[in-house]
Amino acid sequence: MSTAHVPAARTAGAPQAPAPELPPDRAVLPAVIGTAVQRVDAVEKVTGRAAYAADVRLPRMLHGAVVRSPHAHARIVSVDTSLAERLPGVHAVVTGADTARIKWGAFRPDLYPLALEKVRYVGDEIAAVAAVDVETARRAAELVRVEYEVLPAVLSLDEALAEGAPLVHDDAAGNLAHEFSFDRGGADAWFDRSDVIVEGVWQSTRQWHSSIETIGCTAEWSQDRVTLWVNTQTPFLARQRYATALGMPLRAVRVVQTEVGGGFGGKSGDDNTSVICAILARKAGRPVQLVNTREEEFLASRPRIPMRYHVRLGFTSDGLVTAKDIDMIADNGAYTGKAQAVLGAATVRHDALFNYRAVRARSRLVYTNLVPTGAFRGFGNPSADWAVGQAWDLAATRLGIEPPDLFLLNAVEAGSVSPHNHRIGSCELKQCIRRAAKAIGWYEKRAAPTPNRGLAMGVSVHVSGRRSFGDYDGSSAMVRLAEDGRAVVIVGEGEIGTGARTTLAQIAAAELGLPVADITVTRPDTDLTTHALGALASRVTYVAGNAVKRAAEHACEQLLAAAARQLDRPASELWVEDGVVHAPPAAGDDTPVQVPVGVVVRAELYRPDGQPIVGMGAFDNPSEFPDQSRFGNESGAYNFVAEAAEVEVDPATGAVTVLELAAAVDCGTVLNPPLAQGQVEGAIAQGLGMAITERFAWADGAPTRPSFTDYKLPTAGVMPKLHVEFADSYEPTGPYGAKGVGEIALDPVPSIVASAVADAVGVRVHELPITAEKIYWGIHDPDGRAREEGESR
Amino acid sequence: MAVPLRFRLNHEDVEVHLDDPAATLLDLLRGGLGLTGTKSGCAVGYCGACTVIVDGEAVPACLQMAGLLDGREVRTVEDLSGPGGLDPVQEAFVACAGMQCGFCTPGHVMAVRALLDKEPDPDEEQLRQTVDGNYCRCTGYVKILDSAREAVALERARAGEVR
Repeated sequence: MSTAHVPAARTAGAPQAPAPELPPDRAVLPAVIGTAVQRVDAVEKVTGRAAYAADVRLPRMLHGAVVRSPHAHARIVSVDTSLAERLPGVHAVVTGADTARIKWGAFRPDLYPLALEKVRYVGDEIAAVAAVDVETARRAAELVRVEYEVLPAVLSLDEALAEGAPLVHDDAAGNLAHEFSFDRGGADAWFDRSDVIVEGVWQSTRQWHSSIETIGCTAEWSQDRVTLWVNTQTPFLARQRYATALGMPLRAVRVVQTEVGGGFGGKSGDDNTSVICAILARKAGRPVQLVNTREEEFLASRPRIPMRYHVRLGFTSDGLVTAKDIDMIADNGAYTGKAQAVLGAATVRHDALFNYRAVRARSRLVYTNLVPTGAFRGFGNPSADWAVGQAWDLAATRLGIEPPDLFLLNAVEAGSVSPHNHRIGSCELKQCIRRAAKAIGWYEKRAAPTPNRGLAMGVSVHVSGRRSFGDYDGSSAMVRLAEDGRAVVIVGEGEIGTGARTTLAQIAAAELGLPVADITVTRPDTDLTTHALGALASRVTYVAGNAVKRAAEHACEQLLAAAARQLDRPASELWVEDGVVHAPPAAGDDTPVQVPVGVVVRAELYRPDGQPIVGMGAFDNPSEFPDQSRFGNESGAYNFVAEAAEVEVDPATGAVTVLELAAAVDCGTVLNPPLAQGQVEGAIAQGLGMAITERFAWADGAPTRPSFTDYKLPTAGVMPKLHVEFADSYEPTGPYGAKGVGEIALDPVPSIVASAVADAVGVRVHELPITAEKIYWGIHDPDGRAREEGESR
Repeated sequence: MAVPLRFRLNHEDVEVHLDDPAATLLDLLRGGLGLTGTKSGCAVGYCGACTVIVDGEAVPACLQMAGLLDGREVRTVEDLSGPGGLDPVQEAFVACAGMQCGFCTPGHVMAVRALLDKEPDPDEEQLRQTVDGNYCRCTGYVKILDSAREAVALERARAGEVR
């Protein structure tokens, strides 16, 4: 593969003249951009050599196990660890007394590392054991005797909000963890002027990330400092919170990212596993590894937040949207984590899709005695898009306008500004709507309907990074050119499976003129790499991609300057291609000059006052830190999707089969097609799980069997025929025109499945998941148990 | 008292002493034998991340009692590649971007390997059934199925070369 690097300003003999109307680097996209470059980690992964959290092996390492509450709400009367301590092979038992007694949390500190006085959900951590092997640690954990005084619990949103309900936290009156509201544009006046108003209540449900690798950590102390090898998506943000939880200065905690076996928001450092691991290792005086069992992952990770929306939408008779009003309550569970931020995204983000004249919202985050919830791919938008998308689908029916046409009538475009000041840059939403309709064969299928089959469309908008952890959503990188001719990209963002290290390597390769095989992208280590917010909010390609691009440019400038000195030629005559610095033949010579990059780098070092070649680059998302009411342009680039689905319902059983699903995605330039397709395909699968297959039976505040035997992930067999397309799009602020793509394709899936079921058999489900049972009762007992809310007025 | 256990592991005779006769093959591989390529995803035989080949059959190592392996033949992902390069199944997963986080990948690779050992020319339905038996949370299975199809083609090409 050619990796020609042709810096237009510096290069003689560069062949191309950019078309003037295009952004400068769009006309000259390097060959390595937009091609199916092989993943840099592929061989490690297919051979089983990639080392995940549970693959870390340290000398004298012990294994941990956690004692968890069997009660949803209880006072801890006493904890007796003496039996556990006496079990042979046990090296340490810790309780809340061994902690700094500090509450921690990303936004609202309310979680102790190990419970003090009270437990607040089934799974709450009380004590932990370190022993020579996992089995001994678990046996010892069972020997820890905890005496409880069981307290009344609130096990649903309604129970938590009821008058006089027991409080989950004494300092949260009415069990409210967070709330905010706004009225932008005067909603009432616009509803008064509306010809058609639709309304309804829609509720989403808990969904677990279900990464096949569970959360895990290995901790080792050296004097007063602990190193944590963690499968975290966000090593630097996690480090800050872990230091707080341990009551230690930031400098005393080092976090190193292991291979991460799936993240999806669930490994972003809001749970106690790593903190407990560190406390165990300190007391044991030996390294300790603590890895969640699958049961623990279901009981005590941070699943998707169930949200109940009351939605009202107003339209003119010709289909122009006027106003939107939502009243939303969200189930925080027992502790807060990132749910507070998710609440914001789930309230405002979707207003960047359509040209609303007025939007009003009231959103409340409610404590319950259930498993704490948090960030999950989509960050609240799948719940918002499900509820608001259902209202839009009802409106299309009421207005007698086909959904794609209704969306086209109201969709935002480049240059639009949402009521919350989301400033839309590149935007191919309308192109996406047209392409998804075409790919599914919308109008052909409408012309020749098949009984019990239904068709639906949904749209969504997502960010490319989001300013939410303080007034910074940037990234920085260093590119060190090595004397062996390779480049090491030092960046703290990491890899959770999306292919980030591969796309960052492509960007560096393109800028440097090196083959991708000569690029190494580091893993995050809070001691060694640049500071990074990590893999969240679909930000790495956009934010870190820009930082890496600038660092590589900087390194390349130094390389060419060094080569210019060494060759005694002006730098403007030099270029780098396939790892070789090229110059045209010198005067009076006809041999072109070619010097390998490594030779130039070595010669720059091995001389008096020799210098390394290290480029540095930084980029901050050109966005605004939203205020308390979530007003502010949260991202510098927005990505869009339109998805259409065809389903078939068996009226005898209510079983729904998704036959076909078409997704057209605007993520700007596609840097690596198979990787981008993989993000879309995988997101759709998770959306189908949320829509149809993933649920538990519950009793006493916990799933009755927290296991994959009950909680069904989509398998290959349930996947529909997929059509994945990318819009012709270019984001001027993105690296080579790229935007984020990691989350967006999940967002519309529950809504389009529900709308397609309604289209097929006239049954509209109001609470996820969309089960055969709900559809069956909707068909066979439409006025009874399956239908709940008034849908329209 | 430790129970001695002899079996074939990746074409070598091994003898281990089990402290716990109820230990699973997964515990044995990842623990005492240090073969961490086989992953633990659920420990109840459901997700397929720990798929290994025992006497030619793809099985979840988390459900195999190690004590019952005496005299049997076990293959793990570590057996597939070596100085000669990757197995065709692995090559196919690399070529088709058949993984994202990679945690389920060794299990998928071993499942497809076992299929091709028994049926060198599987039809689409057999490929789908094989892939359907293992969870993947990242890919939506599209590129895993592509990889399985490519593995058949690569295997066929390699057989052609041998002939």
